[in-house]
Amino acid sequence: MEATAAKVVVSDLHKRYGDVRAAQGVSFQIRDGEIFGLLGPNGSGKTTTVECLLGLREPDSGSIAVCGIDARRHPRDARQKLGAALQTTSLQDKITPREALRLFGAFYGHRATPDEMIGRFGLETKADAAFDTLSGGQRQRLALALAFVNRPEVVVLDEPTTGLDPQSRRELHGEIARMKQDGHTVLLTTHYIEEAEQLCDRIAVIDRGRIIATGTPHELIARSSAMQSVSIATAPPLTPADLSQLDGAEDIDVEGARLRFRTTTVGPTLAGLLRLVEARGVEIAELQVRKGTLEDVFLELTGSGAGAGE
Amino acid sequence: MMDALLQQTAMSLRLHYRNRMALLYSYLFPLIFLLAFYVLYRYERVVLIRHMGELLTVGILGGACFGLPTTLVSERERGVWRRYRLAPVPTAGLISSTIAARYAILVTAGLLQIALAVLLGMPLPRHPIQLWIAFTCVSFAFIGLGLVMATMADNVPAVQALGQCIFLPMLIIGGVAVPLASLPDWAQHLSAFFPGRYAVQAIQASVNGAGLGTVRFDLLALAIIGLAGCVAGGMLFRWDAQQRFSSRRGKAWVVVPLAAWVAVGAMAEARHRIGTPPESRTTGAAAPVSPSPAPPATAEPTPVEAPPSAAAPADTPPTPPAGAARPLAPAPHASGKAETPTPAPAAVSPVPPSARRGDAPATPPRAVEPAAAPPAGPGDRPAEAPPAPKPAQPIAASWQGVKRSDIDRDLIFDRLPPDSGIVAPIAPPDEAPPAEVQQQLDDIRVGLPAWGPARVADLVQRARNILYIAAVPDVHQTELERFAPAVVFDELEQDIPKDDLVKVLYWIALHPMDGDDSAIDQLPALGFENRGVDAEQARERAALYAVKLLGRVTGAIRRF
Repeated sequence: MEATAAKVVVSDLHKRYGDVRAAQGVSFQIRDGEIFGLLGPNGSGKTTTVECLLGLREPDSGSIAVCGIDARRHPRDARQKLGAALQTTSLQDKITPREALRLFGAFYGHRATPDEMIGRFGLETKADAAFDTLSGGQRQRLALALAFVNRPEVVVLDEPTTGLDPQSRRELHGEIARMKQDGHTVLLTTHYIEEAEQLCDRIAVIDRGRIIATGTPHELIARSSAMQSVSIATAPPLTPADLSQLDGAEDIDVEGARLRFRTTTVGPTLAGLLRLVEARGVEIAELQVRKGTLEDVFLELTGSGAGAGE
Repeated sequence: MMDALLQQTAMSLRLHYRNRMALLYSYLFPLIFLLAFYVLYRYERVVLIRHMGELLTVGILGGACFGLPTTLVSERERGVWRRYRLAPVPTAGLISSTIAARYAILVTAGLLQIALAVLLGMPLPRHPIQLWIAFTCVSFAFIGLGLVMATMADNVPAVQALGQCIFLPMLIIGGVAVPLASLPDWAQHLSAFFPGRYAVQAIQASVNGAGLGTVRFDLLALAIIGLAGCVAGGMLFRWDAQQRFSSRRGKAWVVVPLAAWVAVGAMAEARHRIGTPPESRTTGAAAPVSPSPAPPATAEPTPVEAPPSAAAPADTPPTPPAGAARPLAPAPHASGKAETPTPAPAAVSPVPPSARRGDAPATPPRAVEPAAAPPAGPGDRPAEAPPAPKPAQPIAASWQGVKRSDIDRDLIFDRLPPDSGIVAPIAPPDEAPPAEVQQQLDDIRVGLPAWGPARVADLVQRARNILYIAAVPDVHQTELERFAPAVVFDELEQDIPKDDLVKVLYWIALHPMDGDDSAIDQLPALGFENRGVDAEQARERAALYAVKLLGRVTGAIRRF
């Protein structure tokens, strides 16, 4: 990737809190117009990285460039280019979306009108209602509207869907997809694997303060040992001990009435499995073969199940 | 950027006015405080104007040391300040607009308090522009303090706890709610290290005192404390609630406001400004200007407000030992009630610092100041100054028989309430009265020759009657009170030969309850109100003015 096309360049970022090393040499680049995901379990350093990027925290070392601006040396210039929806943003109880958009817009030289943002983020009915009367989804939309109020070149969304109900989450996903269509550059942090897979052009997997893999979801899956998973339900059920004799079956697991295992050699292993079924005289109720997923990659990379799925 | 900060200020105000709790704290409480004060003391004729210093200070203290940090910390807790931080605005800008919004709240709350007080009958503050300046200095000092508290407190309950730690001591031993004069010595010293007393004094001086010229030190103290608070508050400013104060770098900045308090206290100590304001003292300033017909040796007062020449520390207890040792003054009234001529205010009310002379120790006490000795001064604690026993020597049988030695024996001029105080005040001769007061004075001068009570044959009664012209405004605490004495003194000195005047005044001082007070009812003929005045109180004040004039006639009190 050519450095000139990168909207955000983070290199060798270090940050520690006492004995905790929240970031240990974090480096990544975000290209113009892409949705970039920072994926990692809770406590992996996502938020620290984002906060350093936004100037909310001072890193111990490392460099951050936003649209070619050295964000550590000229944080205010960098902030003109950045829009952000933070994890814990809450506003004063009695402020209305219109007022908040006007107020926060006033801080920037280049800004959108409140009405434009209200229309764009579907806040018309609540434009003049107090913040404390907004639903979670409406608050999140207002946070997004605030992130866009300065027509930023880079938008940072820190765990935007955490704590939202499924309906609001779906709406938000639509919103982020729209950002991509509009050509915005977005940095998204999440611990939901499927969210990252669904929304992001590229993903950096972060764990214990380090980036352990970067690439498109596809590349990441391909790059991993690319195991496929097979699950089978029979009547009467087979036991894990039965499968242990099967060549190529690894990570054998009992999942309710099903048995599950991974394999890199799907064809021969499936043939062996069918022979085994026949030999035992049991009947197949269900047989499923699944390609490797980002979750598998994630588990493989981080060695932890944290954040997998919901 | 200015536009953004103005918007932020306006938004803060708008949100404040939408928040019922905030309104309660910033507007209703100060008003309730004022009303409570008014209701509690209405029967004691404590006039609100003498307490605007405390009332306004308490309002500012609440708004700046509770309201401001509570708002800041709760906004920080919910992440509002993190959100602000994302904007390309300098920290100082956001803090400034926060200060501006809070200042606007304090000013409007103060105006409301004054308006309510005026509705309740308080005259308008004497120096409105100076009041505004003093109010601003006080606001600045307390806002600085509020900012520091906001950075130190990790959450809203912590603000409350921290606030009480500052609020209560300031009220009780800081000279805000409890008169300094009634505090023990150590507390008076301690109070010099808190901004409260400077706040009260600066405001009071501009409400009904001699103006800011007399409280320059207090303004300086407030400015230092405010500046230190704002600087430290800015340096320590926290955007993020997750960052605890204890784990924060740069905590050393807390030392700055503390150092400012200590510095101000040390300066006050060095300049002997610790003592209570003179009018709350039993002794006036004195020694250097002490009368030539010296007061009895036993009554040698300890200089309290450290006179310029005397190196005496300023920390003498309010009542000099002499006061207890010997009857210092004739009891002006034989009635057994509390021996002080002052009504409730001195004992109950907070010190009216307004009247306090500004740089007493630094500049020689104004000539007005040297006091004479009337009945025990206001603020005397009953326990320490019991009603004076009869003098050992028999008092002359009639005023004509009064001798100079009687005067020297019975009157101590340096124990008079100071001229700049609230009891029997006298304006310095070089102070021009406000136009309307001048008009009243002219009316009195013009009316006096034809005023019957001033022409009665009995010289003692005549002098009494004329003294009521000064005594009644004093009781009423009208603006006239400080200027009427000059007219009264002129009239008496022109009207009564000096030798007789001395004896007459002495007689009145010793027999305040004798004679007739019907002249009070005839005061309206001279163009001013006598409505509802307590005759007994007017007699006491007349006796005080008699001694003040006597001191001037005999030279015991320096004229100007």
